[in-house]
Amino acid sequence: MNTTEPAPGQPLVTARELRKAYGSTPALCGASAELNAGEILALTGPSGSGKSTLLHCMAGIVRPDHGPVTYRAERLDSAPEERLSELRRTDFAVMFQFGQLIPELTTVDNVSLPLILNGTDRRTAQKQARTWLERFGVLDRAEARPGELSGGQAQRVALARALVTSPKAVFADEPTGALDSLAGEQVMTELTSAARESGAAVLLVTHDATIAAYADREIRLTDGRTATLEVSA
Amino acid sequence: MRTDLRLAWLLTSGSNRREWWRICLTVVGAASVATFGAMAAAVASISGYANLPVAHGLLNNPGERRGVLLALLLLLIPGLGLLAQCARLGAVHRDRRMACLRLAGAAPARVRRIAALESGLACLLGSVVGIVAVAGSVLVAGQPPARLWWMAAVMVAVPAAGVAVSLGALRRVVASPLGEVKLLPRGQGGGRALARGAILLVAAVTGGILALAYGPAGLVLPVMFGALLLVGAGGVWVSGGMARLAGRRYAARAENPALLIAAERLSADPWAAARTHAAVLLVTVVGTGFMGVRETLLDALSDQRLMTRSDLDFYTGGIDLAGAAILVGLLIVLVSVAVSAAESVAARRRALARQVAAGVPRKVLSRAVLLETALPLAPALLVSGAGGLAVGIWYASLATHELTLPYSALAVPPLMLATCLLAAATSLPLLRRSTQPTELRHT
Repeated sequence: MNTTEPAPGQPLVTARELRKAYGSTPALCGASAELNAGEILALTGPSGSGKSTLLHCMAGIVRPDHGPVTYRAERLDSAPEERLSELRRTDFAVMFQFGQLIPELTTVDNVSLPLILNGTDRRTAQKQARTWLERFGVLDRAEARPGELSGGQAQRVALARALVTSPKAVFADEPTGALDSLAGEQVMTELTSAARESGAAVLLVTHDATIAAYADREIRLTDGRTATLEVSA
Repeated sequence: MRTDLRLAWLLTSGSNRREWWRICLTVVGAASVATFGAMAAAVASISGYANLPVAHGLLNNPGERRGVLLALLLLLIPGLGLLAQCARLGAVHRDRRMACLRLAGAAPARVRRIAALESGLACLLGSVVGIVAVAGSVLVAGQPPARLWWMAAVMVAVPAAGVAVSLGALRRVVASPLGEVKLLPRGQGGGRALARGAILLVAAVTGGILALAYGPAGLVLPVMFGALLLVGAGGVWVSGGMARLAGRRYAARAENPALLIAAERLSADPWAAARTHAAVLLVTVVGTGFMGVRETLLDALSDQRLMTRSDLDFYTGGIDLAGAAILVGLLIVLVSVAVSAAESVAARRRALARQVAAGVPRKVLSRAVLLETALPLAPALLVSGAGGLAVGIWYASLATHELTLPYSALAVPPLMLATCLLAAATSLPLLRRSTQPTELRHT
C-alpha cells in the first residue's frame, strides 16, 4: 500500500477499461476515468449510461467484472471487503440522492457514525459532528431525526457526515437529484467549497449541466463507455 | 464490542413504532418457542411411571408422554416459523439501515455483530419469559422441576436460533453496501420448485411410514420429528412454486386490476410468504387428519359401554388436548400470516403510496393484498386437505374395516382459507396508513 499523499493534480483513483454487467444487462463496456487529488470531476451522461455504476466501482462499492480500479497504487477491484470498508471509514465518503441517513439515529448521531465506527468515543465524535453541522447551517436540527428534516437539510446533514472524517475522496451520486434548484445549488456550493478547503477530491455523478458546471472536469458516458474524456468544465 | 452494543442500542432505542412492533413480536415468537421447548424438556425429564394429576393422568405412562412430547416438538415448527417471520418483519427497512452502516464503513462482520446483538437480545428476553413461565407453572403445580441443564439449553438455543435466522435474512445486505438494490431476484422456476418440494414430501412421508412400521421404538420420535421438518421444508418449496405458477398464470390473463397487481407481485417475489404458507399447509394436513381420527375415536368410545368414567375422561381428555395443541399451532400460524401480510405492505409502502397518488383506489390495493394470500393458498390447501383426509379415511378403515368419509374433516381446508384471509385482512388498516401521501417523503 502506498502511503504517500499524491500532489494536487496527481491521480488518486483510477479506473481503466471497466466492464460490468447485471445479469445479461451490460452497465459498463470499457469505461475509464481518473480522479485526481483535489479536483472536482463530474460524470455526466443520459440515464442508463453507467455513470452510477462507474462511481460505485471507483468507490469500491461494486466490483467490476473486468478492469482495474486503483487508489494510490492499491488495487480496489481485488481488495478484501474489510479493506474496502476501512477505506469508506477513513479515505472515502459516499453521498447519494437520498436514503443514506439512518432513520433511527438523530442527526448528530448520523454524522458521528463514521467516527464512532472508527473507534472515536461518542462525546468527541458528537463534538466534531456538531462543528460540521454548524458549518452547514443545520446545528439547530442536531437532535432531530432524518424524517423530520427537509430534503435540503437532509442532504446538508449527509454532506456533514461525508466530510466529518476528512476524506481524501468524496463520491457523490446525484447528490442534488431530489432537491429543487435553489437547495441543490446551496448543497453544491457547500460541497465544493468544503472539498477545496480540505483538499478532498470529488467525483460527482449528475445529468444536470448546472451541477456539472461546479466541476473542474467533466467526463461523459454513453452506453457504458466514456464517450468524451477530459472535457474542461 | 462496546461500540457495537452502543450502536445496537442506539438503533433500537431510536426505533419508530413499527420497529417496536417488530421487536415485541420477536419477543413473543421467542417466548412461544421457549415455552414449547421448556414444556418438552419438562415432559422428557420424567422417567418411568409417574402419578401426575395432569389431564386425567395423560403424563403418567411413558407411552402417552412420548405422544405429548411429539406434539410439543411439532408445535416448535410453527413457533420457529413465527420467529423467522418476525425476524424478517421490516426487513426492507432494516436492510437499508444495514446498507447505510456498510456505506459508513462498517465491515460485513461488524454489521452481522450489530444485527445479532439486536435480534439476540429480543430473543433472549422472550426465551427468559417462556422459561420462567414454564418453570414457575411446574413449581406452582408442586411437581419436581425439569432437569436444569435442559432448561438452560432451551434458553440458549432460542436466542441462537433467532440470531441464525436474522443473519440468514441479512446475508445479501451484508454482502453489498447497496443492499439488494443491484442484486438479481432469485430465479427459481415455479415448476422446478414444485418438483423439489414434491420430492421432499415423498421422502418425508416414506421415511415416516418406514420408521413407524419397522423402526425401533426409541427411533420413532426423532424420525417422525425429522420427517415433519422435511414436510415443512417441502411445503416451503411447494408454496413458493405454487405462488410463482399462480402469479404467472393470472398475470398473463388477469382482466381485474386487483388480480393483476396480486399476480405480478406473486410472480416477482413468490418466496415472500412461502415459509408461512408452508406452516399453514402443515397445520391443514395435521388438522384434517386429526378431525378424521377424532371422529373415528369418538365413535369407537361411544360404543364402549363397559368403559369407566375415568377411562373415558382419559381418552377424551387426550383427544381434546391434541385438538388444543393443533389450535395453538393454528393460532401461531395465523399470527405468522398476519405478520407476513403486514410485512408485505410495510416493505412496499412507498410504492403503494405512489400507486394511490397516481389514482389507484385503495379498495383495489386492499383486494390485491388479500388475493396475494388467497391465490397460492387455495390450491395448496386443497392438496394438503386431501392428504389429511386420506389419513382420516385410512385410520377409519383400520378401526371399522370399511371406507367412511369423516365429514367434519371436510370443513378444515375452507375454514383454514377463511381464517388465513381474516388474518391477512388485519394488515388492511396498515395499508390505509401506508398509502398516505406523507409516505412519499424520502428520508
